[in-house]
Order: sequence, then C-alpha cells, then structure tokens
Amino acid sequence: MADVTLRDVRKSFGGVEIIHGVDLDIRDNEFTVFVGPSGCGKSTLLRLIAGLEDITSGEMTIDGVRVNDLPPKERGISMVFQSYALYPHMTVYDNMAFGLKLANSGKDAINRKVREAAGTLQIESLLDRKPRDLSGGQRQRVAIGRAIVREPKVFLFDEPLSNLDAALRVQMRIELAKLKDDLNATMVYVTHDQVEAMTLADKIVVLRAGHVEQAGSPLELYHHPRNLFVAGFIGSPRMNLIETKVVSTDRDGATIQIPGGDTMTVPAQAAGLAHGAPVTLGIRPEHLVEADQGDTILDCTVFVVERLGGETYCHVRIADGQTLVLRTDGETTVRPGEPIRVGIPAAACHLFDRDGMALHRLQRHPLADQPLPRHAIA
Amino acid sequence: MRIRKLIGRLFFYLLVACIVVYTVFPFYWAIVSSLKAGSGLFQVEFWPSNPAWDNYVGVFTGQPFGRNILNSVVVSVSVVVLSLFLAVTAAYSLGRIQFRGRGTLLMVVLSVSMFPQVAVLSGMFELIRWLGLYNNLVGLILSYMIFTLPFTVWVLTTFMRELPKELEEAAIVDGASPWVVITRVFLPLMGPALVTTGLLAFIAAWNEFLFALSFTLSNEMRTVPVAIALITGNSQFESPWGNIMAASVIVTVPLLVLVMIFQRKIVSGLTAGAVKG
Amino acid sequence: MTTPSVTPSFPQRPTEGATATPATVAAAPGISRLTRQRRRAAWLFLAPMLAVLALVAGWPLARTIYFSFTDATLYDLEYHEFIGLLNFYYLAIDPQWWRAVWNTVFFAVISVSVETVLGMIIALTLNAHMPGRGLLRAAMLIPWAIPTVVSAQMWGWMYHDLYGVINEIFLFVGLIDTPRAWIADPSLSIYAVIAVDVWKTTPFMTLLILAALQLLPGEVYEAARVDGINPVKVFFKVTLPLIKPALMVAIIFRTLDALRIFDLMYVLTGNSRATASMSVYARQQLVDFQDVGYGSAAATFLFLIIAAFTVIYITVGKVNFDQGGK
Repeated sequence: MADVTLRDVRKSFGGVEIIHGVDLDIRDNEFTVFVGPSGCGKSTLLRLIAGLEDITSGEMTIDGVRVNDLPPKERGISMVFQSYALYPHMTVYDNMAFGLKLANSGKDAINRKVREAAGTLQIESLLDRKPRDLSGGQRQRVAIGRAIVREPKVFLFDEPLSNLDAALRVQMRIELAKLKDDLNATMVYVTHDQVEAMTLADKIVVLRAGHVEQAGSPLELYHHPRNLFVAGFIGSPRMNLIETKVVSTDRDGATIQIPGGDTMTVPAQAAGLAHGAPVTLGIRPEHLVEADQGDTILDCTVFVVERLGGETYCHVRIADGQTLVLRTDGETTVRPGEPIRVGIPAAACHLFDRDGMALHRLQRHPLADQPLPRHAIA
Repeated sequence: MRIRKLIGRLFFYLLVACIVVYTVFPFYWAIVSSLKAGSGLFQVEFWPSNPAWDNYVGVFTGQPFGRNILNSVVVSVSVVVLSLFLAVTAAYSLGRIQFRGRGTLLMVVLSVSMFPQVAVLSGMFELIRWLGLYNNLVGLILSYMIFTLPFTVWVLTTFMRELPKELEEAAIVDGASPWVVITRVFLPLMGPALVTTGLLAFIAAWNEFLFALSFTLSNEMRTVPVAIALITGNSQFESPWGNIMAASVIVTVPLLVLVMIFQRKIVSGLTAGAVKG
Repeated sequence: MTTPSVTPSFPQRPTEGATATPATVAAAPGISRLTRQRRRAAWLFLAPMLAVLALVAGWPLARTIYFSFTDATLYDLEYHEFIGLLNFYYLAIDPQWWRAVWNTVFFAVISVSVETVLGMIIALTLNAHMPGRGLLRAAMLIPWAIPTVVSAQMWGWMYHDLYGVINEIFLFVGLIDTPRAWIADPSLSIYAVIAVDVWKTTPFMTLLILAALQLLPGEVYEAARVDGINPVKVFFKVTLPLIKPALMVAIIFRTLDALRIFDLMYVLTGNSRATASMSVYARQQLVDFQDVGYGSAAATFLFLIIAAFTVIYITVGKVNFDQGGK
C-alpha cells in the first residue's frame, strides 16, 4: 500500500522557482510516467520524491507518511538512474547487496534476496562480474535488480532507457511492463519519449515549465487533452491545428468556419463562446481521411510526401494557406503538387479557446477511462 | 619538393635531439662525474674510461648519509600519509557538498599553497621550538604540511568533482552516510588519484630544503637535500665534487624510477592541479 | 566560467544539534535532514584539515607579521619590544634589500619568459606525431623530478671555473675564448642561476602547455590545412588564442614560484649579494644574523607581494571555486 501524494510542492534553486506548486496523487500500484520537454522539471520532481533534493515548500507523503524531512533511505523508495550508476569496483552481486548490507540485513537474507532478484531479471550468470564487463542492457538489468532487492514501496526510474540503442530499448520496455505486473509496486518513471510514456503508463503526467499540464490515463490524454500543449505533445505526428472562428453554438456543439467557405459542427461544450470568437480546431493526422468521406471536405494541395513504407504522411495546404498533415497508408499514390480532397470527421475534432484550453468534448471516448491490460497474464 | 620535405624532417629531428640532450645531459654528466675517482674528475671526459665506485663509498663514510636517506624517507612518507588522510575527507566536503563558505574555504586552501615558505619561517620556528620539536623529524613532518596539505586537498577536490553525481546518489538511496560514501564507494575509485597526488606530495617533501635547513641542527637529523647542500661545508673551495655527484645520483635515481613508472599519472596530476584550477 | 563567488560572511555551522528530533527540525523549511546531515558532515570532515592548516600556516604567518613590528632575536624570541614600523623603515633604506628585490624580480621575469617560450617550442615539437613521443615526454620529467638542491649542485659542478664542462664546451665551440667563473663573477652569476631554473622548470611549463594543446580540436587544424594557411599564422591566430587561458594560469603559477625562490640561489651561490633573492635575504637576517624582527619584516613584505600576485592569479585565472552549483 504505497500511494504518493504531492500537495502544492514547490522547489526553488537559489531563489528561482523550478517547480510551481504541483498537486498529484499517485495511487498504490500505479505506473506513473512524468513526461515533458527537457527542462520541464520532470527529473527534479522525481528527485524530490526520492529525497535527493529538498522540497522548498508543500507537503509530500509516501504511504501516508509525511516524507518532506526524511532522507531517501527512510522513504521506502529505490531508484534506477539514467547512467545506471553501478558501483564500478563491486561485482554485480555486491552492487545489488550493498544497500542490504548497509541496512544490516542478515547474510542469508541478503543472499536469498539477491538471487531471487537475479532470477527475475535472468542475470544469475553475471553475479560475479564487474559492471565494466557487462553490456548496456545487462547493466540496465543490474541497476533494476539493485532497486528490486531493497523491496521498496515505490520504484523511481529516471530516463532508464535513454542510454540504450533503439532495438534494446523496445525490448527493455516490454520487460519493464512485465516486471511492473510481477512486482506489484508503485512506480514513477521519467522520460521524454512519449512512446515510452504511452506504452508503459497507467497514468501520464505531462509537465511543462514546472507546472502539471494534465494527468490522466494515456488514452485520456490522447482523446481528451486539456489544452493545446498536451494536445501537441501527445501523439505523433503532432495534432493539426487550424485557426478559425465560431459561427454559432447550440446543444450539439459549436459550429465553426472552415477555411474555404464551409462550416462544421464540432460536438464540444461551447456554451460560453460568442459568435465570431476565435477558436483553434485540432484534428490528429490519423483521423483525417483522404477521400470524399467525413463531415467536411477540404480541397487541398499536396506539397510534401513523406513515405515511411507502411504509412505515408502527406503535408497539404488548405485554402487560406494553413498546412495540415494527414496520415494515409503506404500504398497511396499522391504526388507533391497534386490536388487532394481531405475529409474531416467532426467527432474526432478538438476545439480550443483563445487561451488554449480545450472545450469539453460531448462524447467521452470509451477507452479513456478504463485500465487496459497490455499482455496476456500467464 | 621531396628534398625540401626531407630537410624539414631532418631539421625537426635535430631539434628533438637538441631537446633531449639539453634535458638529459646535466644528469648524465653527474653520473659520469660520480664514477671518476681522484684526479680523473678534473679531466673533461664524456665517458668514464675506468669507472670507480670510490665516490659512492665516500658519501657514506664522510657523513651519515644512510641516516639522511632514512630521515628523508620517514619524513616524506609520513607527510604523504598524513596529508592524504586529512585531505580525502576535506576534498569530499569541498568537492561534493553544497554549503555556505565553500568558495571561501577553497580560496583559503589555494592561498596557503601560494605562501612563500620564508613568510612563515620565524613563526614556524617559534612554534617548533615551543613544541620541543627543534632538530626533530616530527617538527619537519608538521611544518611540511603547510605545502603538501593545500596541494593534496586541491588536487583531490578536483578528482572528487569528476566522480559521477549519480553514483553518490545511488549510494545515498542505498542508505549510505557521507562517511560510507567516502570509504566504500569513492575511495576504491580514487586509487589512481591517490597515487598521483601522493607521489607529487612525496616529491615535494623529498625535495624540500628551507625548513629542513632551518629546523635541524645535527648531521644525524638532516634530510637528503640539506646533506647534499652541506657536503661542501659551505665553502666554494676544495669541494668534494665527486662525492656530491655520487650523492646526487643516489637520491635521484629512485625518484626517477618512480617518476618513469607513474609518468602518465604525474602528468595528469600536474594538469589537474594547475590547468583546471 | 565565472569569477569566484566569495561569500564574505563566515560560514555558519548548522545550529541544530545532532540529536534533534523530527519534531524540532521541522522548523527549517526547505532544508531536509539529509541536507543538514551532509552539511554537518562537511564541517566535520573539514575540521582536522582546517585545524592543521591553522596551526602550520595561519598561526606562524600571524606570528611572523607580529614579529615584524618587534625587535625579537632568534637568540631569545620571548623578550622583545614593539618597535612599530622601524623594521620596515630600515628595510626601505637598505640597498641590499632593494638589490634582493631587484634580483628576485629580474630572475622571475627572465626565467619565466624564457621558460614560456622554450616550453612552447618543446611542447609544439612533442605534440607532433612521431615515434618515441612517450619516451621523450618521460625524459622531460627528469629535470622536474630532480631535487632543486641536487640540480644546483650538478650545475655548480658543470659551471666550475677550472674543471667545469661548460667552459670546456663553450671554448670548444668558440663561444668564449677564456674560461669564465660563471658563479663567482657577479655579472654572470644571476644568469647562471636563471639557466639552472630554466633547465629545471621548463619541463613543467612544457607539460602544462602540452596538456592544453592536446585538448584542442583537430578539425580546426585540418580546416586550416585545407585552406592552405601558413603554419606560423595558424599558430598565432588559432593555437595561441585557444591555449591562452591555460598558458596564463601556468605563467602565473610559475611566477609565484619564482618570486619565492630560495634553495637554488642559496646552494649555487650562497648568500652572494649578486644573486640573493628576497627569500635568501630574509632567511639570512633571520637565521644567520638572528634578527627575527627585521627578517620577519622582509618576509612579510615578500608575503604581501605574493598575496597581490595570488589575487591576480585568482582573478585572471578566473578560478571557479563554486562550480557544480546548478
């Protein structure tokens, strides 16, 4: 039972506030991912939870205990570092056993725990080696093993996969997801890679400049971003944004002007918006269709075609000169310079007011609020 | 074109040869001279035609040179051990802990390493006499700390800073106190740094002259540099040059062996102390 | 790099006692037990070192400065009287002292300049790719490792007016026509001393410059070569500006060292007026003439000069005392 709560947590370095009043509830057994552009404070927030940095003001509890003043070892956490931070002069076994030895655990208990963790991570054969004799992936496992043996209430991961090459990263990502189910512990994970965030998280916390922009399940963030920043940050390629105006509003949503002359009604709560108010229409590249379907059809011109093999990104220009990206399949034959008709399904559209805040979508996405298993449980 | 290149090469190697002769010749000449006995010393001969060991015997019979060497070894080793012991923990504090006054302390340490020794001579003399350590090796050990301690603290601080931050944090998460971090995580990694720093401090202590000259009185308490300087009996005439050269070679050869073994480390230590600041 | 941030206030020890309970420590917001523990440890770890430094550096320095205002003698340090600035007055009117000041400055300027130029040439040579470079670098360490006293004696023998190898070689090459008394001749002896210092400390300079050279990016030189720029021009326009910071630090380091020179002159030329440095002069007054008050005044003067240079070193070298404070 280890929830982590943050109440108005602030952190200043030399008078400059880096974390501005973060409120957060991380539930027991939840895999929470902090994500955001570099410098957003995600690592600092993790280090505050770890106790490696002092909290300037606010309250933090782990498992119901106020931890503001507790040193890391008394917080029931363990941490996996970006550089792994293995003790170079110790064997794998000693690396994993170091914390237990310092805690004066019995020799047999240490031995049992280390071997158990080594078994889980399939590194039994490496126990006598030094870190320098290990590959990157093996070091990563040892670092995780060192975290496991301490049997923490909360695991903290600081960009643990960023030093691995692409193929290994995918493999470790899958293993981490599996480990999460095996260990039954609360995990907090920092990354700048939104794919890692989407695939691993029960809950994603998007940070920007020391503020929490939104916290929620991956699909909630994808389908119901709270503002333009989250909308742009989650999803690849980025969501298309079109500057436009409100024509009218009613119970079915907001009717907006579409460049080229048409109007379209987007199902979103737009009660407060006056006629002519500026809004931003958001539509993801994967929701645009290259056809005569959709609620509104735009006549566009293709100007760049990026072919990835399995899929194709078409960059197109609409009537008023704004550009859109649309994702189509790999078989499309469009060429730059050609005209193209792009259909916009109104149900997939997002609207943002002039402050960049999203208007609530009238239809909650069915997948946004339920936990979804990632793999078959053996 | 090819000939010009060849001449360029030739000139380059001539330059290299000059550099080598310039750096090595004086010591070579000392060796040659030390092997010449009697009147042979007074003929300029670049290769000793009949090498003799008389001078080497003379060094040890003319004065307690063996005792002098032992003194130097005792003093230098004690100074190194003591300095390193005091410096390691201090360097950890200065290199890795944020606290008020750290900048000031580092400046104090650097300033002390710049002290001219003569500026503390009278005060040190008084202190040593007051402690009853005049003409005593302990007095030398104590006074040598003035130049070895700031130096070792400074260089070890530089090394400490370069150890990865995450390593220390991992240890902190593992529950290590600052003392455990130093002794069980950092010290094992600082072997090379300790060797380098210790060696440089050893050489500095081994070569020290002013304090050794001023704080010892009897032949038996002198260190090697003082013994070698005073073989002349302070007179420019009738100096036993053969003996002096033999003594010079005796104390220099072990030093050179050490330096050659650890040359890479020494170079890195020198640069850590100076260039990086 | 920033200029050193020097906090003028004396560092305060954390006031919370070691036995503070969590209830009482909650008072300091934003400073956790871990931080307090680390700060406490910092001072604890520093204490022995600082105590020793205070004992062997702070106290003797303070006493030396104190003695400089008294008429203390070595014979009896305890009975002395305060005589104000009298020692400094005598110092100011003593031509021998000013000769020593001149000797020291002359020695420092000439030997450091020669060492810098020579060290630069040797470093550039060693920086070239060639077989046996490691061996050469090792050879460079020989003069550096030899004790100053030993170097002085070795050169003293080479300088010998009757049997010295230097006279022999110079006569053979034709540089001189009669043997010279390199050490006894007052017009030559200071140069003799400088030559030994140059021999002994050029390697130090060389190694520092070499280290700086090896940090330079190779692309710059390849670009210069592709553009066909004259190597001499490359040196002055590219190399020199790039290694200037390291070079400046090395020069100031060496200058400080040269200003306090003692053993070289003392062993090579004794207390000879022609070469005596400030350190030699001060020690002679202190020990040989037993005049602790006057000798201390000379030593204090030297200390002040070095202190001024240290300040320059710290400012020019832009020593960053508080790095890693991100």
